[in-house]
Amino acid sequence: MAAGVAAWLPFARAAAIGWMPVASAPMPAPPRDKRRTQDGLIILNVSGTKFQTWRNTLERYPDTLLGSTERDFFFNEETNEYFFDRDPDIFRHILNFYRTGKLHYPRHECISAYDEELSFFGIIPEIIGDCCYEEYKDRRRENAERLQDDADTENNNDGVLPDMTLRQTMWRAFENPHTSTLALVFYYVTGFFIAVSVIANVVETVPCGTSPGRVKDLPCGERYALAFFCLDTACVMIFTIEYLLRLIAAPSRYKFVRSVMSIIDVVAIMPYYIGLVMTDNEDVSGAFVTLRVFRVFRIFKFSRHSQGLRILGYTLKSCASELGFLLFSLTMAIIIFATVMFYAEKGSTASKFTSIPAAFWYTIVTMTTLGYGDMVPKTIAGKIFGSICSLSGVLVIALPVPVIVSNFSRIYHQNQRADKRKAQKKARLARIRVAKSGSANAYIQSKRNGLLSDSLEQASKEAGQALVSKTSSSFERQHHHLLHCLEKTTNHEFVDEQTYEMSCMEVSTVNQSGSRSSSISSQHGLTATCCSRRNKKTFRLPNSNMSGSRPGSVQELSTIQIRERPPLSNSRSSLNAKIEDTAQLNCDQPYVTAAIISIPTPPVTTPEEDTSQSPDYSQSNIVKVSAL
Amino acid sequence: MRNISCSHSKGNKMNSKYNSVEDELEMATVRHRPEGLEQLEAQTQFTKKELQILYRGFKNECPSGIVNEETFKEIYSQFFPQGDASTYAHYLFNAFDTDHNGSVSFQDFVMGLSILLRGSIQEKLNWAFNLYDINKDGYITKEEMLDIMKAIYDMMGKYTYPVLKEETPKQHVEIFFQKMDKNKDGVVTIDEFIDCCQKEKNISKSMRHNMNCRGITNDSR
Repeated sequence: MAAGVAAWLPFARAAAIGWMPVASAPMPAPPRDKRRTQDGLIILNVSGTKFQTWRNTLERYPDTLLGSTERDFFFNEETNEYFFDRDPDIFRHILNFYRTGKLHYPRHECISAYDEELSFFGIIPEIIGDCCYEEYKDRRRENAERLQDDADTENNNDGVLPDMTLRQTMWRAFENPHTSTLALVFYYVTGFFIAVSVIANVVETVPCGTSPGRVKDLPCGERYALAFFCLDTACVMIFTIEYLLRLIAAPSRYKFVRSVMSIIDVVAIMPYYIGLVMTDNEDVSGAFVTLRVFRVFRIFKFSRHSQGLRILGYTLKSCASELGFLLFSLTMAIIIFATVMFYAEKGSTASKFTSIPAAFWYTIVTMTTLGYGDMVPKTIAGKIFGSICSLSGVLVIALPVPVIVSNFSRIYHQNQRADKRKAQKKARLARIRVAKSGSANAYIQSKRNGLLSDSLEQASKEAGQALVSKTSSSFERQHHHLLHCLEKTTNHEFVDEQTYEMSCMEVSTVNQSGSRSSSISSQHGLTATCCSRRNKKTFRLPNSNMSGSRPGSVQELSTIQIRERPPLSNSRSSLNAKIEDTAQLNCDQPYVTAAIISIPTPPVTTPEEDTSQSPDYSQSNIVKVSAL
Repeated sequence: MRNISCSHSKGNKMNSKYNSVEDELEMATVRHRPEGLEQLEAQTQFTKKELQILYRGFKNECPSGIVNEETFKEIYSQFFPQGDASTYAHYLFNAFDTDHNGSVSFQDFVMGLSILLRGSIQEKLNWAFNLYDINKDGYITKEEMLDIMKAIYDMMGKYTYPVLKEETPKQHVEIFFQKMDKNKDGVVTIDEFIDCCQKEKNISKSMRHNMNCRGITNDSR
């Protein structure tokens, strides 16, 4: 029941007096209205725009935010109003829902924003009024499709996951040729062979000049039969291999076998095999020739290579009803006109219109405005009806065509938009990545700066100078503090990508060499003991920026540092990536220690950050480093 | 009553039987404004506040200020979803439409409500008699009663317990007439009606019960 009608309920109850004189039984007692809330105005302040309404209006829908006690959470005592920090434009519609009982969807609003507001205020979108429901559903579907598209392409464009089986890689290569060079090569090779096969089929039938001893021109296919046969064999072999590979790689073989493209593949290569199997029997040679016609289906294999062709196919599929209508109406018209023409021309002598089916040909040729002229009416009646036929033909064909065209155009544009979105998506993802890494790097940067400022503070304290500290927003500071807490919790550190990657490489090379010949590895070996001592714990490295920022004393060690540091910070960045690489981390410790040592003022700073790791570590390692 | 109408010629004819486009347009542009608050207060038994609340509800549902029979039927039918309330709504509409101009203005509405909610038993019974007397000739005949009864039973719909039979309204009318028609002349006059109802314990009790529903106006906000 609409909310507004509730206002008339008292009237309906009052009118029940009309039943009383004729009532068979006495009336029941009326319900006592327990809740005698005084009605009053409620002020709703939505981002500064004040809305006012009666309390009872809101309480019509007690299972929404505004109608229940949930709104008390937003009550502002000082101003005696309910404050919501939301969009006032959309709120207008929500409030109207309470007033009129109908929820409308404004067309100019973004669908996700609107949905968010609805869910915030606890209103289910299903109650949107009929006037706006279609639009709402359409927009929602579009949005969902777009998101789905994005998710799909994201899944497709994911970098090679190392744990993809060969089968999955192959399938991906087949479906998206751009993923790897091999796939691209395969794509072009198959395309080339399709073209070659089609051209060969065409050229086969061209008359190629006479062979000695024959009068007529031979088609090339028979003159160079062997060459063409070899070519055909090669193409079919390639196609067969391709089909088998696809079949193997397909995630769902049953679905693959049923798909249109695979059927086309099969139809394209079957004639060859059937021809191989069949002998050169006179009886079946006719059928054999027919089979060769199917070779032309190879041209459809191009649809894997051309998106436009796929769109065309999809359009035709989606316009099936219009095409059906076209066909039906044409058939009707053909039959009508053929009959008329037949009877009109019946009287004329030597008329080509021997039967109604014979007249079909005339009708079709005339309606499609072809007019071959092999059959023409001779009587006057025939000519009149013939002209009517051609005029109506134009109309009948012209009518459904715009529908098909508009469908094609819509789908084509949709595809274009999807492509554009994909292209923009790359840029968009890049932006997101930059932003993400920006914030991550910001933390690392702030750590360095923090250390730097700390050490400078130390230095300046010693030097008796004032220090200018870098300002950052309170949000940033709190966020960094949070990350800091996480570091402390896990005893690992955040580092940036390059350092992590380099450390990975370093580790791999070191693991490969495994010898103690190089100085690094000797150090590695020396500190390997330490490594074994401290299996799980890794400690942080004060930051990678040291080489540039630290003055003089570190310079001589800077080269070592450079080599050492990257592995270190790389190992740290493994925190960001995968936890399972901590094993690697452990082995990197020697590098860590080396770097730590290189800091001139480490004993002061590192212990602050590095409470778990004792300075003795660095002490012991100082010796080692200097030994280098 | 002030009718603000864009077409001068067809000022008072707001009959819903009009079909032409211009008339529909005219219907849409006609606005009705009720008498002032004080006058209504004088004419009815409601206080100013109650009138305010009633008017707000009324105007919300009928922004044009008047209810025509279609809208009335629609609104009333929403309260009785199982059955067909349109016939009874039609009779009810005629009972409210005291000046018989085909539409119920706020004034009609509120005066009717005033009688129903705040009137004396006599007034209520008078109103009920007016409802039953379809042709408003002062007598309730058996046919009229039958029509009303059928309309009431229609509101019940099909799914009732015990199952509704064809003769049920007729039987009900017979019982009613036996009680009411004292001089057995086949019609019930207003005096017979009021007389009988006041004597009947059930009816007077129900009427008094209804009188206790003063809270009705508060519900309507």
